[in-house]
Amino acid sequence: MIVVTGASKGLGRAICERLLEKGSEVFGIARNVEGLPFPSMACDVSSYEQVKAVSQKLKKDGVRITGLINAAGIASMNLAVTTPASVAVNIINVNLLGTIYCCQNFAPLMLRNKAGSIVNFSTIAVALGLKGESIYAASKAGVEGFTRSFAREMADFNVKVNCIAPGPIDTNLLKGITSTQIQNIVSQQIIPKQFTPSAVSDLVEILLDERSSALSGQVLHVGGA
Amino acid sequence: MITKAKHMNPDTAKTEVFTAISALLEDKSIVVTEDLPLIGSDSVLDSMKLVELCLALEDKAADLGFEFDWTSDAAMSKSRSMFRTAGALAVEFLSQMESKK
Repeated sequence: MIVVTGASKGLGRAICERLLEKGSEVFGIARNVEGLPFPSMACDVSSYEQVKAVSQKLKKDGVRITGLINAAGIASMNLAVTTPASVAVNIINVNLLGTIYCCQNFAPLMLRNKAGSIVNFSTIAVALGLKGESIYAASKAGVEGFTRSFAREMADFNVKVNCIAPGPIDTNLLKGITSTQIQNIVSQQIIPKQFTPSAVSDLVEILLDERSSALSGQVLHVGGA
Repeated sequence: MITKAKHMNPDTAKTEVFTAISALLEDKSIVVTEDLPLIGSDSVLDSMKLVELCLALEDKAADLGFEFDWTSDAAMSKSRSMFRTAGALAVEFLSQMESKK
């Protein structure tokens, strides 16, 4: 079973659909799971208690977890000096602490089997230092740092931990960003084109696959940076 | 399904925990005592072995009908961590079992 956070929409939903299409069993986590056509549970990843409750349920049900995709995330494109403190806290809580809480709670379910793959999500904004994304980029830079260290902690248990850092992918996260702004970011990528959720799902598939067993602690930039 | 925890006296709980620790020691000449440190620079277990110990105690707890929580706030702080010594871990294991009765 592969646990996917942020499963109700955007990249998370696209990843769930791809994995289901490929015959994997998926368990989705999102704040609102109403109507999701696969097993799921409502959970706010920024709440340690809620994340722990989901992991305990899966453990009690005897579910064998082989993968964790931490796709839940929020963004707020704004200058740091004009961003309310409450928004900054929320971004850090969901993007950084949410990823950490999920890793803390779901990784033990993989340690026992000495096998598994964890995929965290960063952004190309970290590598490019994009203007107007400083708080979002800070939260994701934290995810990258966490990924590298956590990968070492998990290596003895044959659990790989990697990070995908997409450029502007066409999802609801880009709501409110103009096409000119998107083009400006895309033009800074090594491959200057906007990629789709499908390209990200391809990478997720590779990272879940045994053939990427030599890859851990890495940040993969979609579009290149 | 976890139901009511089975009864175990303090000495038996201590023996179970000490046996689990002993099984993970590479140096078999080490005798597990109450004050044997499990974390910090003097620890006899590396971080991987410590996680393996947690998993072993989790299994033991499941056999006994309760859930052993090794991720609580009390787990890792050196001053009050359940892993500070083998004795402290045995006390915590028993305490969690008693609280689930």
